[in-house]
Amino acid sequence: MAPLYRVFLLVITLLLMNISAGQAQTEGILISGDFRNSRFSEFVEAVEATTPYHFYYDNADVDTLLINLQVQQQPLELVLRQVLQDTALKFAISRQHEVFITRGRAFLSDLPAGFFERAADTTDAASPEVAVPLLAEEQVRKKASSDIKLYEIGIKSDKTTGKATLAGHLRDAKSGEAIIGASVYIESPLIGTTSDQYGYYALTLPLGRHELKIKGIGIQNTRRLLLLHSDGKLNIDIQEDVRTLKEVLVEAEKDRNVSGLQMGLERLDIRTIKQVPTAFGETDILRVMLTLPGVKSVGEGSTGMNVRGGSTDQNLILFNDATIYNPSHLFGFFSAFNPDIIKSVELYKSAVPARYGGRLSSVLEITTRDGNKKKIAGSGGLGLLTSRLTLEGPLKKDKSSFLIGGRTTYSNWLLRQLPDTDYNQSRASFYDLNAQITHEFNNKNTVYLSGYTSNDKFKLGSDTLYSFSNYSASLKWKHIFHNKLYSVVTGAYSQYSYAISSDKNPVNASEMTFGINQANVQADFNYFPSSKHTIDFGASAILYDVGAGSLQPLGSESLVIPDRLQDERALEGAFYISDRFDISPRLSVSVGLRYSMFQAMGPRQVFTYAPGVPKTEYTVTDTLTYGRGDRFAPYHGPEYRLSARLGLTDNSSVKVSFNRMRQYLHMLSNTTAVSPTDIWKLSDSNIRPQVGDQFALGYYQNFRANTVEFSVEGYTKTMQDFLDYKSAATLFMNHEIERDVVNAEGKAYGVEIMLKKLTGKLNGWVSYTYSRTLVRVNNATFSEIINNGEYYPSNFDKPHDFTMISNYRFSQRFSTSLNFTYSTGRPITLPIAKYYDGDIQRVFYSDRNEYRVPNFYRVDLAMNIEGNHKVRKLAHSSWTLAVYNLTGRKNPYSVYFRSEQGKINGYKLSIFGRPIPTITYNFRF
Amino acid sequence: MRIQDFTKHVCWLLLLLLISACEERYMPNVIVAPNRFLVVSGFINIGEGATTIKLSRAQNLSDDSAPTVESGAIVWVEGDNGATATLEEAIPGTYTYNGSELKGMSKCRLRIRAANKEYASELVTAKKTPPIDSISWKPDDTGLDVFVNTHDPLNQTRYYRWDYDDAWEYLAEYYAELEYVNNEIKRRDADSDEIYRCYQFGKSTNILLNNTLKLSDDRVSEFRLLRIPSVSTKLRSRYSILVRQYAISKEEFEYYDILRKNTESLGTLFDPLPSQLIGNISCLSNPDEIVIGYVGAYSVEQKRIFISRSELPGRWRRPRANCRLDTLDVGDAILYLESGGYLPVAEYIEAGQLQYTISSKSCVDCRVSATNVKPSYW
Repeated sequence: MAPLYRVFLLVITLLLMNISAGQAQTEGILISGDFRNSRFSEFVEAVEATTPYHFYYDNADVDTLLINLQVQQQPLELVLRQVLQDTALKFAISRQHEVFITRGRAFLSDLPAGFFERAADTTDAASPEVAVPLLAEEQVRKKASSDIKLYEIGIKSDKTTGKATLAGHLRDAKSGEAIIGASVYIESPLIGTTSDQYGYYALTLPLGRHELKIKGIGIQNTRRLLLLHSDGKLNIDIQEDVRTLKEVLVEAEKDRNVSGLQMGLERLDIRTIKQVPTAFGETDILRVMLTLPGVKSVGEGSTGMNVRGGSTDQNLILFNDATIYNPSHLFGFFSAFNPDIIKSVELYKSAVPARYGGRLSSVLEITTRDGNKKKIAGSGGLGLLTSRLTLEGPLKKDKSSFLIGGRTTYSNWLLRQLPDTDYNQSRASFYDLNAQITHEFNNKNTVYLSGYTSNDKFKLGSDTLYSFSNYSASLKWKHIFHNKLYSVVTGAYSQYSYAISSDKNPVNASEMTFGINQANVQADFNYFPSSKHTIDFGASAILYDVGAGSLQPLGSESLVIPDRLQDERALEGAFYISDRFDISPRLSVSVGLRYSMFQAMGPRQVFTYAPGVPKTEYTVTDTLTYGRGDRFAPYHGPEYRLSARLGLTDNSSVKVSFNRMRQYLHMLSNTTAVSPTDIWKLSDSNIRPQVGDQFALGYYQNFRANTVEFSVEGYTKTMQDFLDYKSAATLFMNHEIERDVVNAEGKAYGVEIMLKKLTGKLNGWVSYTYSRTLVRVNNATFSEIINNGEYYPSNFDKPHDFTMISNYRFSQRFSTSLNFTYSTGRPITLPIAKYYDGDIQRVFYSDRNEYRVPNFYRVDLAMNIEGNHKVRKLAHSSWTLAVYNLTGRKNPYSVYFRSEQGKINGYKLSIFGRPIPTITYNFRF
Repeated sequence: MRIQDFTKHVCWLLLLLLISACEERYMPNVIVAPNRFLVVSGFINIGEGATTIKLSRAQNLSDDSAPTVESGAIVWVEGDNGATATLEEAIPGTYTYNGSELKGMSKCRLRIRAANKEYASELVTAKKTPPIDSISWKPDDTGLDVFVNTHDPLNQTRYYRWDYDDAWEYLAEYYAELEYVNNEIKRRDADSDEIYRCYQFGKSTNILLNNTLKLSDDRVSEFRLLRIPSVSTKLRSRYSILVRQYAISKEEFEYYDILRKNTESLGTLFDPLPSQLIGNISCLSNPDEIVIGYVGAYSVEQKRIFISRSELPGRWRRPRANCRLDTLDVGDAILYLESGGYLPVAEYIEAGQLQYTISSKSCVDCRVSATNVKPSYW
């Protein structure tokens, strides 16, 4: 309060002076002089000598200021405005001809209009309604945590109409972490935005008084009263909402659904994710993503996502802006992300912003928390198969923080307890580690450093050891130029590699390895030129280096012949610009263009094939050799990103979007899931990039004061040149992979209907999706024709999908959730007969993907029991009891056929074929 | 390391970690359905030799009975010039034509009337197969490669298919001087059955294809037909291979190429996708009926070569047979020989005592696993 008090005294003093001096004439005093190349002190001397003005200033503020000015009979205000332009200095002239030069904010030399009237009304001089002028900016930011105080922003001027930009950070009052995705808005007129991943927001508002409201996931609804004079900053500290179970889904989203321009975006907060029961009691972000409309997977045990009919390699998975290639543990039974460090997950299914590119179907952006900036804290969990621990805290209070988290499994220990020697020689282990440092250098510069590694090893039936690992690191520097412009420069490195080794038979002992590295740099700029426009622009470059495969003998007895596929390198670049234009409160459009470029790089040997015939061993015409630094196979093209929103009423809107994506990297897999035998292949002279177009249309309506949200989204999508496989393609150590793949064209369409209830004792969502995804291979000159050249269902075509996620809160400490999922079975090609061709028995197959495995449904139940809600205690803890697959339905994971005594028998394997109870203990301190 | 292993490991993992995975029989209706599709194999021979077409029926996957042949059908070839040639059913399900009506046909198709339905292949252009230039072979340290060489001076063949029949002398491990007839051991003479030198026969099991699209010249140089390991019994004495060459169409080439790749692995989550193989035969009355097979029209060229052991590297190890000689005195030898599983090999005198060496039947009598009838071309 001390500074406030001083300011108050000053104001009083000024007031008294004002009264004693009466009305002085300042208007008539004009200044003339030649101040070219003169110091500020010289200017002051000259002015003081010829006029009654007297200057008050800090010499340190002005000693570097050089004036270059010639004035003829001009008032002092005008002259000073010119003198001080381009500096942070402000001036104020009192009626007593005193001139105050201050840094940052203008000295308030007059009391606000009506000051005395109000003072007369209230006897309490320290009323919070009283304006608090001349608070240093720093102080405003720190103290901006009161709902009822009036914050004055900017420099008061006579202007009463016009607009100004308000910007700042939203932070958690307790931990100092950025709050992402919260709505910041005023209600009349309705102007709003959402905080970005740094908690930053910028709003252009009319000058004057406003009630700024802030709503978001897991935070208390907050408001700030403000009086906006000109551009300024307001950082807002917000209390966490401790009742974790009440507000399940995002309040930010509830407004965004109808009023936001973005469509096809699913944003889940970690709190929501934690309520969904999973097979092993471990919170799993990818598994929860799969419950959302438009997101599917081929089987239960796989985290590979198929978003709106796209294949699993068409999802860009960003973990703090570093690409992750295999987001799973243990063949996909767990996702590779520790739930304790995650802040939010965003999935773009359509209308992908121009700053993202490189994948056809979706962008999954996973953001971790920054770490507690106020005090050391920790959290963890003990489950049946895994345990995790996270520690976080300040390195320098309020300025920098760290966060480290780790997770591991004790399945190795469990396996060793098994009596059977075959079983107890098996190994299955994994871990993942995260570390993160955030440092705020000053108001304008913040640096985020993040590292991630995950590692899996399993050896089953004591023969083959599979291991795979992800490493990624990213460094981000966020710089705020001014309220209207900020930039983020990101450098990231990602590596994914796997090895399959077998040492049971010393003669065949070998190790196969694969690795992909990518290094990328990216610069993104956000510019808010006015309240109607938001402009994003930037550029990025990615350098890929793929170790496409190497087979090496293991041990001295091994007779395996070493083999190594050629390494592949390529450079991908892109630049983009997009403008979001709010034409009126009802109508807004976003127009974006991304232009991406790709070039493969030597050293490499590439086959050329005879044109007009399929690429086979029989049609090679030439071998081209490229040296180091040679570039070849250039591809480039524009990617259009358009979207528009039309508000129909306050509670309903229609949105439409079109986007084109290009993908230069392909995953080749002989499974339909993501597995550690997948090969990532760069485009080259023989493999063209994939191009996808999506058109989406949606209708959104909120009911019952925005607590119930309804949306219908339809989309159609076409995909060109994505890779399908020729019959009986071989992917393992294949030197000429281009001969086994075909360029397929795909189309997908669907309707997604979702109803969400956000608050109340009963909450959750119900969604139904009808979608088809079809493939066609019909170019006889390039490949064989599949299914007569007609469209056939892709491997993950599941037309009907119904999901219900529901939570019921009995009390603050006890809640349950019940989930139900139904979907059509995935397509399969069945052998339908056997016959003899000459003397050789052959199997006759149905059309590709003509049949389907049985339909899938599952019911899960979970109970959450919280400890008591005392704020001060050593550790907060909770128990989660869950039953996965409550009805014990045997959903097929895989269908296969075996030849047994001359008969070919079909089998289906279900992995979670009975109810699986789990118990997890979670704690935080 | 193979993908099948991967599948197995996944199943292991599931079984181990979850102990709730379970496997169930899965026989959807489409698999249980009879699926007795008509299977047509063979080709229309427009050159020398007979045209042979075999008709059979596909079976249900779980049917372990012998495949059924389609007997009593009427099979004929139609030329675009209106000529027809009817095939006679010599053996049930095998239809043959030996006449000369087919020679010189430029376009033709196969017609079948079976089970009261009409079937027809697409009209195909008859191709004349160029002669085989040579069958060459090259030994290396571990085996022998056999190659085919051919060319078409008219540059019209482009797509080739081959198959082969091979035969080799099969020698018993031990040359028997004695035989056991009517409960006595006696020397073998001219009337005794040949039991040392026999003949075994084989045929191609892989689909052998090549095309010359990438070459300016329609020439196949050293296309490898097969590789015989150095320890194979085929190369112990004398080996012969008869290679048949067919000039096929692009469509037929693609048909066989897919058939070649549709391996035995059956649709699991981890296998590549097989696809339905569409041949060129359809049912005229019911176009949706599935008919398996591709019938082309071409002539056949063939060539036979012989390879003797003496032409092969002497350093090659002999194939190891699981054979042993036992030396027994007369009484014991008779006891063993009476049991039927053994045959006498030679006399052996030790310390003035007559003894016999005997060995198991399969090591002495080549007829156990081969025939002693010498083929006509040998």
